[in-house]
Amino acid sequence: MNDADTRAGDTAVLVPDGERPVPARAGAWSLPGPRRKARREFRPRRRIPGVLLAAVLVAAGIVGCVWAASAALSHPLWNIPYRDFAGPLQSSVHWDDTGTLLVASAVAFVGFLLIVMAVVPGRTRAVPLASGDESLVIGVPRRSLRRSLGWLAADVAGIDKAKVRIGRHSVRVRATTRLRDPAGLRESVQGVVEDRLARLDPLWPVRVKVRLRRKEGGQR
Amino acid sequence: MTRHTARVSRTGLAIIGLILLLGAGAVLARGLSASTGVMGSPDAPLLTQAQVQYPAANSWVWPVVAAGSFVIALLALWWMAAQSRTRAVRRLPLEPDRRHGTTTLRADAATGALTDELDSDPSIRASDALLHGSATTPGLRLGVTAENRADPGLVRAGIETEALPRLRGALELEKIPTVLRLQFSRAFDRHLT
Repeated sequence: MNDADTRAGDTAVLVPDGERPVPARAGAWSLPGPRRKARREFRPRRRIPGVLLAAVLVAAGIVGCVWAASAALSHPLWNIPYRDFAGPLQSSVHWDDTGTLLVASAVAFVGFLLIVMAVVPGRTRAVPLASGDESLVIGVPRRSLRRSLGWLAADVAGIDKAKVRIGRHSVRVRATTRLRDPAGLRESVQGVVEDRLARLDPLWPVRVKVRLRRKEGGQR
Repeated sequence: MTRHTARVSRTGLAIIGLILLLGAGAVLARGLSASTGVMGSPDAPLLTQAQVQYPAANSWVWPVVAAGSFVIALLALWWMAAQSRTRAVRRLPLEPDRRHGTTTLRADAATGALTDELDSDPSIRASDALLHGSATTPGLRLGVTAENRADPGLVRAGIETEALPRLRGALELEKIPTVLRLQFSRAFDRHLT
């Protein structure tokens, strides 16, 4: 990260990198505590599958309740006489029928998926940043960081477009230029992105990889 | 708050997944004749004649099914509510000693002052804040959208060393567990120096 500072002079960042005050850090990189805390905080909550499943259960419970109540009053709402509520199930369907096995496998698979969703921690929704205060957890949502770094890279003079992908420990930038001689351009993009990441101070080290492509038919 | 709702969601998913897996597993075990001695023969019908006739002969079956379905619906409704609750704090007590009367502060007044202060910073576009948990030891959820050209180190230092200590002072709390979500927006309309 240190060489990013020395390179920052020839990049297109509007604010020159000088002796700006950096908030005190607790050397959080070496401490597992803040990292674990941040991971736990930004882990996917599984709220959407949870709420969906709850809604399905509510609907099923209400339908079952109404149906059973109507059957109890000897006026079933649906066209299934309660005397043979099993309808097609009775005596013609067996435990080892293909249909029975298929349905059971499907249900077992759904149950397995639900357990996996509940147990697997999942990728954090935000990239955690170091904080000087242990009661403060900071994170940048992945999507926001991706766009932010993309704008920065695209603002470098000579860069046409830039796309950013954020992995667990890496940031990949794919930039295109129309310049004929893109010498030094890749390095300045790398410098801008590394400088920004250094200012953000993520909780775990992030490597920056830049790929530069030259687009034909540009400025001559 | 997020951790609490995450636990509620994940626990419910695990319980229901386990029920489905065990039930379907039992059906599969019998269908594939894994253990004929325990489960019964695999080529027997799913429901015997006697089982089909059972609800007709016993009048208690349908009311019990209805009650069971109702309980399931209620539990699922409670689960749904528990997952979508924000547990926001509305009023904060400022006077610990009740004998001298009570003083409360509206939570949105405290968070409003915080977001106003943050928004007055030219490098911050927007901010939102929510106090949640218990009224005596609340947690803070803070969202800040900063200008992309601004220095994130300075933005963060301003929040850490000025805005949050001021809130702690206003609420007379030693510490407020805070989750800050920092986002960036592009500055189209103004330049920062």
